[in-house]
Amino acid sequence: MTSGNPAAWEDLARAAVGRIGGAAEDETAVELRELLVIWLDEDPYALPIERVREIVRLRPITPVPHVPAAVRGVISLRGEIVQVLDLRCRLDLPVVPAALDRRRHRIVVMSGEDGQLAGVLVDRVSEVLRTPAAATRSPDARESDAVCALVPHGERFVSLFDVDRLLDLGRRTDAGAAS
Amino acid sequence: MAVRRKRSPARSKVAREFVSEVDDLLERMRADLADLGDQRVRGELVPDLVNRLFRSAHTLKGVAGMFGFQGIGALSHRLEDILDDLRMGRLDPGACALDLLDEAVAVLAVEVDLVGREAATPEGSEELRNLMQRIESALHGDAAAGCVPEPLAVEASLLRALTEYEEHRLRESLRGGRALYVVEASFDLLAFEEGLAELSESSRALGEIISTLPAPGDTPESQICFSLIVASELDAESFERRLDLPAARVRMVQAGATLATGSAHPPDAADELGKDAAAAGRAAFGEGGEADEEPAAGDGEAAPAGESDASEDTPARPADDLESLKSISETVRVDIRKLDELMNLVGELVIQRGTIGAIAEQLLGEPRVARLARELAKAHKALERKLQELQAGVLEVRMVPMRQVFEKLSRVVRRLRREVGKEVRLEIHGGDTELDKLIVEELADPLMHLVRNAFDHALEPPDERVAAGKPAEGTIRLEAYQRGNHVVIEVSDDGRGIDLEVVRAQAVARGLLAPETLLTPKQTLDLILLPGFSTRDAITETSGRGVGMDVVRENVTALGGLVHVESTPGSGTTICLTLPITLAIIQALVVGVGDQRFAIPLTSVLETLLVDPVEILRSEGRELLNLRGEPLALRRLHVEFGLPAPAENVRQAVVVVGLGDVRAGLLVERLEGQQDAVLKPIQGPVRSVHGIAGATELGDRGTVLVVDVAALVEDAGRRREAA
Amino acid sequence: MQHILIVEDSPTMRSLVVSALEELGDAVRISEAASGFEALRALPRDQYDLIVTDINMPDINGLELVSFVRRNAAYRAIPLLIISTEGSERDRTRGLELGADAYLVKPFEPETLRSAARELLAKTREG
Repeated sequence: MTSGNPAAWEDLARAAVGRIGGAAEDETAVELRELLVIWLDEDPYALPIERVREIVRLRPITPVPHVPAAVRGVISLRGEIVQVLDLRCRLDLPVVPAALDRRRHRIVVMSGEDGQLAGVLVDRVSEVLRTPAAATRSPDARESDAVCALVPHGERFVSLFDVDRLLDLGRRTDAGAAS
Repeated sequence: MAVRRKRSPARSKVAREFVSEVDDLLERMRADLADLGDQRVRGELVPDLVNRLFRSAHTLKGVAGMFGFQGIGALSHRLEDILDDLRMGRLDPGACALDLLDEAVAVLAVEVDLVGREAATPEGSEELRNLMQRIESALHGDAAAGCVPEPLAVEASLLRALTEYEEHRLRESLRGGRALYVVEASFDLLAFEEGLAELSESSRALGEIISTLPAPGDTPESQICFSLIVASELDAESFERRLDLPAARVRMVQAGATLATGSAHPPDAADELGKDAAAAGRAAFGEGGEADEEPAAGDGEAAPAGESDASEDTPARPADDLESLKSISETVRVDIRKLDELMNLVGELVIQRGTIGAIAEQLLGEPRVARLARELAKAHKALERKLQELQAGVLEVRMVPMRQVFEKLSRVVRRLRREVGKEVRLEIHGGDTELDKLIVEELADPLMHLVRNAFDHALEPPDERVAAGKPAEGTIRLEAYQRGNHVVIEVSDDGRGIDLEVVRAQAVARGLLAPETLLTPKQTLDLILLPGFSTRDAITETSGRGVGMDVVRENVTALGGLVHVESTPGSGTTICLTLPITLAIIQALVVGVGDQRFAIPLTSVLETLLVDPVEILRSEGRELLNLRGEPLALRRLHVEFGLPAPAENVRQAVVVVGLGDVRAGLLVERLEGQQDAVLKPIQGPVRSVHGIAGATELGDRGTVLVVDVAALVEDAGRRREAA
Repeated sequence: MQHILIVEDSPTMRSLVVSALEELGDAVRISEAASGFEALRALPRDQYDLIVTDINMPDINGLELVSFVRRNAAYRAIPLLIISTEGSERDRTRGLELGADAYLVKPFEPETLRSAARELLAKTREG
């Protein structure tokens, strides 16, 4: 599975969501987690796929006034209006003013705590990773507050997000103000 | 058979035209194919769907030929062949055939896409040609025998004008053992539509209309006669009885195989009706807790004409019982979420309509497609009208009278009166005023709180009232009325009124107001709406769980409404809630500020004007406009929303907005016209954005934020206080 | 001025046919009917010198329309041109049996349609 065929991985992601939805309870013994691997530059991150509702191509984002910088704006998704977070900004990474590329950039739409949707703008999406829950490691201190575990992936580790924390901007704003 | 078209310089335009035509056709075919797979009647394909697909393929073939795309034409032709075989029963409607159809439509879509990018060859891609071969072999491998028509026992005069397909349906009906009837009726030549529609509808309820043959009537110059061939499972007697059209002549031309007498009851419309009535009867009486086994229905005398069918064997009931049963069965309870879904769909349709309108507009400028463009524009106009009706219809369904909430409130007052022993009268006016169900629901809590406040704090104890020369019994008055595009709900009492000095002192004590600030009485009253303000320290049992006026205001503002307080010391207080009638679909004025657009709900827009920068006045740090002698406070939208400042010295537009009695002017750069918009909440981590009520999708204008006029207007008021 | 009635349920096809016939020039006027139904409505309301009709239509099909026109004294003389798919040899024969004057198979060159129409229109001018 490469990132070269967007349609294919979108299908894959959807299929994986369906599988998790249907069979998660029966497979608790195995404790396999399915994670969607997303990228910022050369750094991989992961989202638990059961929280991923949809992956969409980059589309025009309407800026919204009076919101934290991490909120890039809103998009409309089949009639629903959804905020989109800039993942770089959310993680306090240096923001590279690179042009957004419709072919590569994706918005991963996730369901938040109370069923509200929220999108995250990422550089690209590569694959669905199946990993035993036991294989995860606690995050380093230098990781963002939104990262809850490190998951082995080939020769390196992928930072796994806690979706609720990732979407909790209040938490971040406080932390940001304190540091 | 395809036609070669001479290559012309306008080739790419031809391609564009072709693609836009064919895309729609393919879209419809995809939808029909999906339906075809899903819907089967007794394992058979739905004939209408197959026939419609056939006609689509047929049109596609024709259009492709006209435009000179032989490859697409040839594949559509094959597609047409498969569908023709399917509808004629020559091909087994198995999964294999459907897969081939799916694949063919998919390949056609790819091919048409190639045309759009001018990468297509007239003969079509390799993939297309491969598929053609597969279809070829599939068709020939399967070629069924039964192509020879069976002799039919129907008059030749009627059969002559049947198409091959209709003849096939006729045979199928006979094979299925159904009876054939010819239903004839004559109508006035100049006004036959209604009669024919009625005839067709009644016939369709009894079976399948195989053919509609027009013929000259008895007086050919003024009359037209229609002969319908109808296949039905009913026997002659029931058929004639159920058809029940005095003008129609029915004759049976072929008896059904299984229906010798009228004793065997096929499931027919009338029986279904009887079942429904019985079910409704059970529901109606079961709800009251009574086990009434007997389906309720009146006898022939009591029942309105035409309803007697369902009641032949049931005992008589009084007429009013029948009435009540009727009224119950005619009302449907609908989950508000379903209405929301419908409204969303309508909203999306409205957006699509806008897109179609824009395309039509654009096409009108293209001479090559002038006729099509006019046709499209006409169709678009019609669509617009119908959509408006649909929208109004769905909106109307959402509307409920305020009475529902008022009655709840009156129960609360009665209970309080019992518990507290306070003499209070509740007056209710305007219960018929209608509001969106969602708004009514959201209003229940704030109104409850206002009523409790009045009961608890505003109305004095009886001795105090008598001493003040008022009746011992206090009065709380609830009134709802419509004012323009808004509904106003007033909660008033004849109590002690609000003591401005106490309010002021409280606000200062809470740090909400600097001691030296000068306020008008109205500004002072508005202080009670501020968060953290409460005129009583001790919260009594009846005043609710500490929900203050600030929460009332917050709730009302969230609905796009406004709270307004009036009070006269000694004689009472009125709290006024001004609310939009519906939240679902709004007419919006689209304005531009820099490269961003915003939508302003038209219900709040009083007027728009253009101003020169020199016309803008300054007074005490605020910007004003002299609007026909009245000062109008201005707010610059780009300042409100932290956007870059536009060029100075340019004419700008002012949108004069008003809510309740408050007005303000919003300064924008451009007015971009009106549009229907579905107001949607903004989902995501940030729960509410000041000054933004939500967002909407406006077709090609993308996602646009909707301005919360109430918040901006209120800000204007607050800033005045602070100044 | 001669008057042509075009009966065709597919808007696309109808426009193509109309565009082709419009090039006959100012000597002809064109009316459109989107179904056999509409055609029946249109017939008593005006004079026509040629009817061009499709066969496969919902409600009243082209064959039925032909049969009606030929059996009605008021319209019997109007030339009828059937345009339909090449698929159904049977429907074609039927149409001619019922009294259609000519038959064109889709797709056709606009010029083919025009010359057929010209020929049939000449007939009414003579008669």
